Amino acid sequence: MSEAAAHLVISGVSKRYGAATVLEHVDLTIRRGELVTLLGPSGCGKTTLLRAIAGLAPPDTGTIRLAGRDLTQEPPHRRNVGVVFQSYALFPHLTVAGNVAFGLKVRGTPKAEIDHAVARALSLVKLGHLGGRRISALSGGQQQRVALARAIAVEPDVLLFDEALSALDRKLREEMQVELRRLLQEVKATAIFVTHDQDEALTMSDRVAVMNKGRIEQLAEPRELYARPASLFALNFVGLSTRIAGQVVGSQDGMVDVVTPVGRLTARGAFQPGASVIVATRPEQLRLGAAEGANAASGRVRSVVFQGSRTLVDVDAGAGASLLAELSGREAEVPRVHDEVRFAWPVAETFAFAAEAAS
Amino acid sequence: MMSRLAMTVCWVSAIGLALFLLLPLAVIAAASFSPTPVFDLPLSGASLRWYGRIGRLDGFWPSLSLSLQIAVLSTALSLVAGTLAAIAIARGRLPGATALGTLLVSPLMMPGLVLGIALLQYFRMIGFTATWSALLVAHLVVTLPYVARTMIAGLSRFDFTLIEAARTLGCTYAGSVLRVMVPALAPSFLISGLFSLLASFDNYPVSIFLTDVRSKTLPIRMLQYIEEAPDPTLAALSTLILAGTLVLLLISDRLVGLHRMAGTAD
Repeated sequence: MSEAAAHLVISGVSKRYGAATVLEHVDLTIRRGELVTLLGPSGCGKTTLLRAIAGLAPPDTGTIRLAGRDLTQEPPHRRNVGVVFQSYALFPHLTVAGNVAFGLKVRGTPKAEIDHAVARALSLVKLGHLGGRRISALSGGQQQRVALARAIAVEPDVLLFDEALSALDRKLREEMQVELRRLLQEVKATAIFVTHDQDEALTMSDRVAVMNKGRIEQLAEPRELYARPASLFALNFVGLSTRIAGQVVGSQDGMVDVVTPVGRLTARGAFQPGASVIVATRPEQLRLGAAEGANAASGRVRSVVFQGSRTLVDVDAGAGASLLAELSGREAEVPRVHDEVRFAWPVAETFAFAAEAAS
Repeated sequence: MMSRLAMTVCWVSAIGLALFLLLPLAVIAAASFSPTPVFDLPLSGASLRWYGRIGRLDGFWPSLSLSLQIAVLSTALSLVAGTLAAIAIARGRLPGATALGTLLVSPLMMPGLVLGIALLQYFRMIGFTATWSALLVAHLVVTLPYVARTMIAGLSRFDFTLIEAARTLGCTYAGSVLRVMVPALAPSFLISGLFSLLASFDNYPVSIFLTDVRSKTLPIRMLQYIEEAPDPTLAALSTLILAGTLVLLLISDRLVGLHRMAGTAD
């Protein structure tokens, strides 16, 4: 990535709270106009990283550069970042317009300009008619929009969203995901979302950073992240998978042969013979029947879950191993519970990960 | 049927109680306009002569001035100290913060008489004899719990993310406190300030131990008047104090709304 395209550069950022390391030497570079999600379970350090960027929790080591400026030592009010908080953090003593105008007033922007910017921000979030309302008179979804308008109004160099959609109910959240992405692209904003919701991450972002124990495990585009998970953690956190434990018996050209309870399987990965690994694939790769040169396993169907466009089949492959297959709605033949079935899946879509990472 | 009967009983008791509480005030107000030195029903006309005599009461002005000084100053100091203490208790990770909060509020539960004697003895012991300062410190003990209690409650409902939001929007930390926390806590400040003012202004049991012949607070002076010459001048003075309190309440209602202050609405 060229220096000009690098808008936000985080390098070597670490943060400790007492004995606990919350961020461990995090590097992350984000381009101007890019939408990036920090995805991970609670306690993985994603919110701390967001707060470090905002200046609310300065890092112990490392630097943060935004739009060519070193912000590491700057207080929050001189960073020009916009934050949308999980609780929205709207000022209860001000009206909707008063909230949106707040950042501009503090900056000493002339009144006419403020009015113009407030009207524009409110119309962007489709709340142009509610400027005079009190905050307590708004619904959760409307408050979310006000919080967004308030953050956008100051034209920040980067917008930060801390679990900003998590308080909305499911349907509204899904609508907002799509709308928010469209809106951010429209205003050409650079944004970072923090979430534990994989759907939100895949829907909203150009790239996703999967975080675990204070580190970024994988930084990739959503498709890449799903299709080529870099670690067992990333595989488990995004999407469903079939996982079988085994031991490497042969290794060649980035492929390994693994002996497992369901038979010999071939997977992508570089391990020495004798290594304990987890062999995994995505459920939609599994097909009924056998295929030449593919991995295969058989077992007895434990459950069949119909989900409209797809059907999930859980198979007991014996010796504690199980297979999870996703069959599309168009598949002619769907097995029933207790059926003996055989599934095959491509070697190229099978991955091996170090087993100890599973703990 | 039963619930209608119960409702009626409740309403009757509520109205009865309100009358019981307010009637003495009405009687005082009526007596203050009595044309004769002895209040008599039915009233035989109205007069303002007693109001005119208030200012001529012996030592009235110094006492009023002393009471106001002590009330205003102790309230101002309590507001600052009480708010800071409440922040430490509501926000800080102090060990035993809850116990500390209870301790701060405890003078509220103590009989004023005991507090007065204790303070008198303590001040003597440490050689603190300046009447005015002793009164101020004693009233601080009386008013601080009101402020601390209300501010702890107010702060426990305050979302400190608001301050972070203000900071990211361009406010300094101090600016955020002033622009966001103070207005959001305005009802708490107002109600605790009002309580504190009134608690100090009409305090008798603590003040009685700390005043001397030359400096008496208004309540103590008033008790002296009633012992010397019981006439409606005191009723007139009481009515004026009542009117002053009402004006304060009305202003507060205009500013933040009494329902917000009483905590009966969100």
